[in-house]
Amino acid sequence: MAATAAAVVVRPVTPVQASLWSDAWRRLRRNRLALAGAIYLLFLLGVALIAFVWTPYPMAGVAVAAPYSGPSSAHIFGADLLGRDVLSRVMVGAQISLTVGIGTQLIVLAVGVPVGLIAGYFGGWLDSIVSFLVNVFYGVPDLLVALLLVVLLGHPGLDKIIIAISVTRWMDMTRLVRGQTLALREREFIEAARASGARPIKILFGHVLPNALGPVIVQATFGVPAAILFEAFLSFLGLGVPPPQPSWGSMAADGLSAIRIAPHMVIAPSIALSLTLMAFNFLGDGLRDALDPRSRR
Amino acid sequence: MLTRGTLIYISQRLVLIVFTVLAVSSAVFLGIHRLPGDALFNEHLHGTEYQNVLHHYGLDLPLWTQYTNYLTGMFLHGDLGESFVNRGVKIAPLVLREATVSAEVGAFALIFTIGLGMLLGVVAAVRQNTWVDYVLSTTSVIGYSMPSFVIATFLILFFAVWLDNFTQGGFYFQIGWTGTYGSIGEIWLPAFALGFPYASIVARLTRASMLEVIRQDYIRTARAKGLREQIIIVRHALRNALIPVVTILGPLVIGIITGGVIIENIFGIPGLGKEFATSILNRDYNIVIGVFTMYAALIGIANLGVDLLYVVIDPRIRY
Repeated sequence: MAATAAAVVVRPVTPVQASLWSDAWRRLRRNRLALAGAIYLLFLLGVALIAFVWTPYPMAGVAVAAPYSGPSSAHIFGADLLGRDVLSRVMVGAQISLTVGIGTQLIVLAVGVPVGLIAGYFGGWLDSIVSFLVNVFYGVPDLLVALLLVVLLGHPGLDKIIIAISVTRWMDMTRLVRGQTLALREREFIEAARASGARPIKILFGHVLPNALGPVIVQATFGVPAAILFEAFLSFLGLGVPPPQPSWGSMAADGLSAIRIAPHMVIAPSIALSLTLMAFNFLGDGLRDALDPRSRR
Repeated sequence: MLTRGTLIYISQRLVLIVFTVLAVSSAVFLGIHRLPGDALFNEHLHGTEYQNVLHHYGLDLPLWTQYTNYLTGMFLHGDLGESFVNRGVKIAPLVLREATVSAEVGAFALIFTIGLGMLLGVVAAVRQNTWVDYVLSTTSVIGYSMPSFVIATFLILFFAVWLDNFTQGGFYFQIGWTGTYGSIGEIWLPAFALGFPYASIVARLTRASMLEVIRQDYIRTARAKGLREQIIIVRHALRNALIPVVTILGPLVIGIITGGVIIENIFGIPGLGKEFATSILNRDYNIVIGVFTMYAALIGIANLGVDLLYVVIDPRIRY
């Protein structure tokens, strides 16, 4: 909805917009680490999508190999404590991680962008309340709050985890959008829009948001690995997605208890998780340099 | 240093900590008591036996009375109630002891974080754009991107498994603690695993701010008057380069306290974090409330400590 509104309003200045994006793409392409991260993430997305229709073995298939057996040609990553194929489970784990990471960011965007826009644009008591809430949430340790929420929300499940992580992450986006809006609302083109009688909603989504899009995209890119990390933490502690659904965190926890006899069990999910987090961080760095050159150090 | 203003500031902060603890404790208490089902669900008790247990914990009272009882117990007698799972075990002394264990691990991790991070940052800055700098910068990016439990896992794999096999059991790291508090030999690996990601951040910050300070005129003056390079770096440059690093101490301490939840579970450390995960999995809700209350107090006190440290490091700051 926001995207179409932006497109409609922005049409008169399309050449400028096009050059911004092509300029950003040119800069991103030159950043080899960011590009490598993007390619890895595309590969991971492909793996996650393939895992919906095909995995080498069923992800919950018990005793497709000898329990704890190490890597072999039939099971490249070996087997876990129940003789399940680790590669298949890492593939399905990619689905979980990406779903949590992207799902959380969608909620964070859906909450943070409108709240930040409204607080920044209208100011006054609305802004005071939002700023107070943001500060309160920054003051409490996020991992503990997420843990508590998982307990309070009852039954474990992917939706509960996404909600719990979103509650501890929404204020990053809110604070960013609010700050951007505060800076933009004094600019002449916003004043012109206001003078020509545009309704606030049109000003916010048609004029303010498109101009704040770069930092928002960067923030969302950094938000995804943070959410993935949280899910891994929760699953590692046994509070994540319920078994037999695999998550990289719970696989690592299983592997850790068998680390002397079957170290491959812990290595595969740990490396998958680390690579994913690193790829998102590199891509985020690259996007920040490309989309938001002013914030470059 | 301990002026009247500072004392007033400290007492104000202590009052604030009490209110924070009260708010956190109340939120968790009410939240958990709102949960459907009851805490004795797992025990399959029936009839009068069930009623007796309910009465023992005061769970047959109205929620409001339970809440006021809980608050008066906590503030007047320092009593946080009793464990549901291990009947008769008082929670307050338990979590208090565990908090000191967590604080011990956290303090060692903090020493690692700051010591190692500053050392790496200074070395990278002094040797800017040499291979040393590149190796250290890459290490710190990796350290920043790897979750603490992955780092811990690889450390265990190396020190507890491979080293054991390699030296035929001659030298290896034993996981798990023998006593309540860890000895140096038991604590260094968990502390390192806990501190390493944050050490990467400190190293990055120190490097950046060292590079800025090193180019300033007073450093050139120090060189010109013939001071030795080590003295210039340690006494003149580092002290000013530290100020930006100090500003992240607050988030860093909170990160170490929450990160301890994972590390304590991995290394079998009998601290607050291990109790936290165990009590949630056991549905021992009284302990969950107690642990949260303790965490709120611990974080409040740690933050106060950090703010007081600012005064020591940067004399321009006064309260």
